[in-house]
Amino acid sequence: MKKKPMKKRVIGFVKKLIGVAVVLGIWEAVVKIFHIKKYILPSPVLVFQSLFDPAKAAKNDWWLHIGTTSGEILLSFFVTLLAGVLLALLIAWSKPLNKMIMPVIVLLNSIPKIALAPLILLWFGYGLQTNVFVAVLVAFFPVVINTVTGLIEIDDNLLDLVNYLGASKRQVFMKIRIPNALPHLFAGLKTSATMCVTGSIVGEFIASKNGLGRLLRSAQANIDMATMFACLLLLSIIGLIFFKLISLAEHACMPWSDLGGGEE
Amino acid sequence: MEEKKTLLSIRDLKKVYTTREGELEALGSVSFDVGRQEFVSIVGPSGCGKTTLMRIIAGLMPQTSGELIVDKDYFDPQKDVGFVFQKALLLDWRRVIDNVLLPIEILKLDKKKYIPRAMELLELVGLKGFEKCYPNELSGGMQQRVSIARALIHDPKLILMDEPFGALDAITREKMNFELLRIWAESKKTVLFVTHEISEAVFLSDRIIVLSARPSKMVGNVEIELPRPRTLEQKLLPEFNRYALDIYNKLEVK
Ligand SMILES: Nc1ncnc2c1ncn2[C@@H]1O[C@H](COP(=O)(O)OP(=O)(O)OP(=O)(O)O)[C@@H](O)[C@H]1O
Ligand SMILES: [Mg+2]
Repeated sequence: MKKKPMKKRVIGFVKKLIGVAVVLGIWEAVVKIFHIKKYILPSPVLVFQSLFDPAKAAKNDWWLHIGTTSGEILLSFFVTLLAGVLLALLIAWSKPLNKMIMPVIVLLNSIPKIALAPLILLWFGYGLQTNVFVAVLVAFFPVVINTVTGLIEIDDNLLDLVNYLGASKRQVFMKIRIPNALPHLFAGLKTSATMCVTGSIVGEFIASKNGLGRLLRSAQANIDMATMFACLLLLSIIGLIFFKLISLAEHACMPWSDLGGGEE
Repeated sequence: MEEKKTLLSIRDLKKVYTTREGELEALGSVSFDVGRQEFVSIVGPSGCGKTTLMRIIAGLMPQTSGELIVDKDYFDPQKDVGFVFQKALLLDWRRVIDNVLLPIEILKLDKKKYIPRAMELLELVGLKGFEKCYPNELSGGMQQRVSIARALIHDPKLILMDEPFGALDAITREKMNFELLRIWAESKKTVLFVTHEISEAVFLSDRIIVLSARPSKMVGNVEIELPRPRTLEQKLLPEFNRYALDIYNKLEVK
């Protein structure tokens, strides 16, 4: 009832690998057959060379860029998580605060936050802080709005369940509201995880010395298609790993939620 | 019967809900007493305010007018009440055993001490071996039985039961009736029991309060003088059926 059997999982993994290999094969074939120029679409072999060929890989210092971008994504994610949850708790705890802050949040949320990036560059200057701030700005609102919803929108009957015993407000939060908000929180986190990745890269586009976003831009300037594709590949791998980590955390925090479901 | 001490006195209790469509009289002036260790049922058609009445007694909302007098020396309306709601209302994120122990946590009692009692209660409601399950692994009837164990865990003096057996099949329901009577007799509890099922009310109760359709009035307060312990055979007695018929008549069922 809990984990899928090992054999099934291995088979699933092999199927995925085959899928990826087929796509790469078709890609390689198309480039070869139609003689596509490498500054339009590089072949997968060229992309892998730019990643693993010692001569080319050294030029790009991949680990530094991967580290910088992953660091920004993680940092912005944890800032978002912490700030978002704290603000949501505050809003849910106090009705007057809710009335005051929620409209502001909804209003701010309607601003296209990415468009604020140039402004933030002016305020915070070049570097990590700007990228992280841009990412947090973009990713913050889904967490707050989702968590507040989870904390406030509760079946009244569930509140009766503890209120007839004279539960304190704190108990209601600890025993009912917060666990009730967990699925909402994770839904918000998943949305905001993607936004953290986007935000970090946009931050790097406009203001950064390192990072995959930065590298993407400079490769673009050199029309180095292979490096650009390698960056994209790495970014999607980082995104996937990050997403997987969040769903692992979700299952760990909500063991009751993966019952009764078959496939993921 | 010997002189019965009153646990709960309800005097002209009235509830008017203010809704978008205007005022809605859910409970129109009800008065009755519940004695210590008495088993009292409330019957009445759907929507006549039975749940409303129970919620007022549990302190979950104020009445519009009238009085609710409790014997404060004997009974603390917060600690000494157990409520079995019409729906099971289990918390999805807690295992069965932790759902049962919820009142212990809210009342800030020592949880460890109550674990054996929780297991006992689960066994009593026929759920031995399910304590580690999550609610969504249980059927509706099983969930409802967990909620009964939960209402009893803190050993309340007054048990409010709002159609607790509505989600159960006829066989389990009958068994639960017997278990309930056993718990009630052994632990000297007072039970206020809401049901649609007239014969269930007659079978269980010392007294039945009959409410009419909305705007509800009290149309009966019937003493059931069948000997205890109650048995299935009693259901065939003419007295049993006379009580049931009497209540149907009060409800103006034709
Ligand atoms: N919170 C509320 N706000 C407005 N009206 C309500 C509310 N709760 C109940 N009512 C109304 O009050 C009346 C009595 O409701 P109540 O739930 O007490 O009935 P009931 O006797 O328990 O019915 P049932 O047997 O179907 O459970 C109904 O007409 C219902 O629509
Ligand atoms: Mg009801």
